[in-house]
Amino acid sequence: MNFAPPNGTTYTLPATLRRRSDIVQKLRRLYTSWGYQQVDFPVLERYDSTHPHEAKSFKLSDRDNDLLSLRSDFTTATARMVQLHYPDFPHPLRLQYDGKLWQTVNPDIARTREFSQIGVELVGLSNAKADAELVFLAKESLREVGLTPRVEIGNPAFVATLFDLADIPSEERTALADAIDRKAIQELQERLERFQLATDLHQALLQVIDLYGDTSTLEIASERCPWPETQVIIERLKAIVAEFDDSSELLIDLGMARRHDYYTGITFRAYTFDFGQPILGGGRYDGILLPEAAGFALGLERIMGAQTDLDNDFQATIISTDDAKAAYLRSQGYSVERAVETDLDTLVERAKDRGIAFLVSGSGIEALSKGAKESSDLDRLEELLEQL
Amino acid sequence: MSADSSAVQKKLVIALPKGRIMDESIEILGKAGLRLERSPDKRALIHYCEDADILEMRNNDVATYVELGVADVGIVGKDVLLESGRNVYEPVDLNFQNCRMSLITANGFDGEITRVASKYPNSTLRYLQEKRINAEVIPLKGQVELACLTGLADAVVDIVQTGSTLKANDLVEVDVLFESSARFVVNRAALKLRDKQLRIIIEALRNLAV
Repeated sequence: MNFAPPNGTTYTLPATLRRRSDIVQKLRRLYTSWGYQQVDFPVLERYDSTHPHEAKSFKLSDRDNDLLSLRSDFTTATARMVQLHYPDFPHPLRLQYDGKLWQTVNPDIARTREFSQIGVELVGLSNAKADAELVFLAKESLREVGLTPRVEIGNPAFVATLFDLADIPSEERTALADAIDRKAIQELQERLERFQLATDLHQALLQVIDLYGDTSTLEIASERCPWPETQVIIERLKAIVAEFDDSSELLIDLGMARRHDYYTGITFRAYTFDFGQPILGGGRYDGILLPEAAGFALGLERIMGAQTDLDNDFQATIISTDDAKAAYLRSQGYSVERAVETDLDTLVERAKDRGIAFLVSGSGIEALSKGAKESSDLDRLEELLEQL
Repeated sequence: MSADSSAVQKKLVIALPKGRIMDESIEILGKAGLRLERSPDKRALIHYCEDADILEMRNNDVATYVELGVADVGIVGKDVLLESGRNVYEPVDLNFQNCRMSLITANGFDGEITRVASKYPNSTLRYLQEKRINAEVIPLKGQVELACLTGLADAVVDIVQTGSTLKANDLVEVDVLFESSARFVVNRAALKLRDKQLRIIIEALRNLAV
């Protein structure tokens, strides 16, 4: 019998789960404080060939041979729930969710086949203020879990608009957008030379890969791309930035050129220092899944990978043979096991092996290790028991 | 909470392929202003230098280290990068290690191509699909020309630098898939979070590589 879970999935042991729950609680509290209401979705979904992650979803067959798939994306799930349950809800609607997702990817340190996300969606309006609220919450989300945030904002419509202005044939656009998104200068030059573009457009398309950096990038973009069609996009980004008193944690990249899934407006990602993967991703998807909506999600495994100074939340572990004392300590927030061993020597020996710090009995409290004897927990517990 | 603890950043980490490309890489990065020097210990896997730490590895692994952010930047041939499918920025064509990826057959072969051997199965498959050639790909680890000579495959896809190996074995290039050269690659997060430092290096490398 092989007890190892399938490739790309894992058992979550207590220490890891404690950290994950702690992150989830902090973020749920943050989103609730901003008026985002918690919702939950089924893990089993009706198979849908138009689902944005259709190719990556696990498929299962139901009794009647109906095809089901495992939930692979929260934004799509939210959009479908909103369409079913809130078709006429007075907008805006603020929702938050968290849970597991499954995708048939090749697992490596950046992705697993089973993973956890937490996120929010702001449904029912589309303007710079709504965009800014999400970008702000993205930033605060990282801070809430002890990470220094940098949120990078872009809009692939910017590059697409330059393609329109330059009349780039539609069959060339995917490869060209891909080269821009990878900032592959050599490939971009070669591809652009095939078109006879006006000098200013040629230059704009060539230089768009370097249009990244702090928010002053938007000024440079304004000068280089004076066309009304591109100005609209820059102005929206400026309006988002203007909502911030301090924009030093914001980054701009106008060379984000690939459309991820369903996004139509701004897209954004959050990074933190000395961690090579984005922690959070989001954007606006007006008109695709819902008429007007935007949101973001954080990867819980990514957050845990990026956290370096872990809270050393050592919690005194206690075992007790005295039910009254145990009940009192539990009411004070302590975690207390009830001794089930009948023999005291066996009890103490096993408790020490398991790393239990204190034994509470009719005669009082006893520290089971040197560390426990010297810890301030002992004083606090003795004080509590005296009050009893 | 949160006085910006990020002000002091760790040293830059560079992933480089072992072999001759590593010497060329250290040289050009040196000209771009980075003080780098190989460890005198021949078995060293990490070279701790003044301005960066260099990780020495097989060329196939460079893109993996950079995409996952274990290395901030790296240097790798476009051929290997394309084969890896890894998602990294490639802002500079360094213009050395120039070669081409070619479809090769035995001289005089004029049959239908049904089996193609290669160390680059992904690039080969993409090419065959593009050209609508209905052939199977046989992945091999090395000396792929042997596949052509022994009849294991009708053709091979491989790197051609001077063409002398082909000539010596009576093989011919029948098509070029793409031209390749060394690329400076950057992790997506690192490019943004080490903006100032990397912008200077990228600019210098672009000027040097012309």
